[in-house]
Amino acid sequence: MVLAIKLDNVSTVYEGEKRPAIRDITLSIREGEIVYVVGPNAAGKTTLLETINGLLPVFRGSVRVLGLDVRKHGRKVRCQIGYVPQDFMVNSNEPYRTIDVVLMGRCGKVGVLRRLSKVDKEKAIEAMKLLGIEDLANRPIGKLSGGQQQKAMIARALAKDPKILLLDEPFSNLDPESRERLSELISRLNKERNVTVVVVTHDVQQINNSCSRIVVMNNGRIIADGKLEDIVEAAEKILPINFWRSL
Amino acid sequence: MIWLNYTIFQRVIIGCIFTGLLTGLLGVFVVKMRLTAIGYSIAHSAFAGAALGLALLADPLMTALLFSIATALLIGPAADKAKLPIDTITSIAFSLNMALAFIFLTLAPTVGLSSEVASVLWGSIVAITNRDLFFLVVLTSIVIALVYLFWKEIFTIMFDRRMAEADGINTKPFIYFTILMVGVVIAFSLRLVGGILVYALLFNPASSALQFSHDMRKIIVLSPILGVISCISGFFLSLVFNVPIGSSIVLISTIMFAISVIISPKKRREVRT
Ligand SMILES: Nc1ncnc2c1ncn2[C@@H]1O[C@H](COP(=O)(O)OP(=O)(O)OP(=O)(O)O)[C@@H](O)[C@H]1O
Ligand SMILES: [Mg+2]
Repeated sequence: MVLAIKLDNVSTVYEGEKRPAIRDITLSIREGEIVYVVGPNAAGKTTLLETINGLLPVFRGSVRVLGLDVRKHGRKVRCQIGYVPQDFMVNSNEPYRTIDVVLMGRCGKVGVLRRLSKVDKEKAIEAMKLLGIEDLANRPIGKLSGGQQQKAMIARALAKDPKILLLDEPFSNLDPESRERLSELISRLNKERNVTVVVVTHDVQQINNSCSRIVVMNNGRIIADGKLEDIVEAAEKILPINFWRSL
Repeated sequence: MIWLNYTIFQRVIIGCIFTGLLTGLLGVFVVKMRLTAIGYSIAHSAFAGAALGLALLADPLMTALLFSIATALLIGPAADKAKLPIDTITSIAFSLNMALAFIFLTLAPTVGLSSEVASVLWGSIVAITNRDLFFLVVLTSIVIALVYLFWKEIFTIMFDRRMAEADGINTKPFIYFTILMVGVVIAFSLRLVGGILVYALLFNPASSALQFSHDMRKIIVLSPILGVISCISGFFLSLVFNVPIGSSIVLISTIMFAISVIISPKKRREVRT
């Protein structure tokens, strides 16, 4: 069994804070899993994702991603992780075209002192096609709608051919049809390219059959982790019963 | 109208070209990497440094360089770690630097040096030396070479630093190097525009260029051009009206900014029906 992500007793404390935002997290995610992370606001979901990709420094415990210690090899790890942040919004005057932004996803992977090549550009266009935004390639990114911008950020994450995808509420700005398409896209990438996916969402409708696991967080801790049937009981304590019934 | 000896004239024109190029180029990074507050602090500490140089009868360029690099090294990491809000640091640093600068200026032995005091305050064309030009040319070449080599990273960081990190780019060296360069370039530009106004050279051309285009690749070329135009036309303006060159450069670059806002293609509506 190959582990894509392994957290051991991890706590993350924001600078200037006394309380850890996530505490004593132990979590293993196998390669090729799709894991949904749910929980109320301020549960620590975003913090968990940014601890996994090393954007936030680990305060205690160890984080290993693709066999590497994130504390030591953060950048190498991040080149393999497609990260879509929650609610990333662009200033309407931002002087970048959409294709430029999608291409940025490849920069770390290509490495310093190397130019982006035709292959990189093809990857970026392919990623935009997957999201159905290839028509927007030459539009200034700031002039796109919120949902279009979100798709561009997802395309940026996909452009790097990631081994792991961390998606923080990727459905939030999307219309029902786009949500459905994204959901299918996630399953497809998972099946065809064996991409490990961690999705934070409040939108339980999107948790479909392809999902192998649900992790429920509250107050900085994981309070339940498993298949849907296994977690309902624990999860009911923090989220209303209808929430889970609706699944 | 002032008539200049040809060598001085030549020197000033070259100084204007390279100062305008450098500040215009760096200015885009400063604005897009959200380092304007830091640039502001560095500019005023360079001013204080130059004033100290006058008081100590030392070379103002060297003391300005010392002050601005020290500030860059101090403020850069502090602002980076967000230990204190950058606005707070900037406001306090601004007033402190101004206070220091004025103390140093009053301490400066004024006899026969008042023109030097004036040059530190408002800039002066006769203050530029061949050594300054040499450093300016070297600096410009280094900066342009680095921008060429690391364009991909700089381009990405200017869009969003955190996302650049998330894509595996090490952003710290770029940010710190930009801050350091700002320190050096400000110290060198101080001669031309003077300590009080040097900041405008970093900010105005870049802000104007950002109004003009939707494409970062064009902005990065346009801003240095606007910088050069500001410096050279400011120079002629100062000759014609016999006003300090620093002020006339700032006037020109401000007018340029106003024009860029008015004719900005970003503000134009193109309705097709
Ligand atoms: N930059 C920060 N500095 C200090 N504390 C923070 C910061 N960001 C988040 N926190 C705190 O950490 C805790 C977890 O926040 P986090 O953003 O991970 O929650 P979340 O589960 O993603 O919530 P949401 O559903 O609202 O996105 C919260 O108590 C929050 O106040
Ligand atoms: Mg969140």
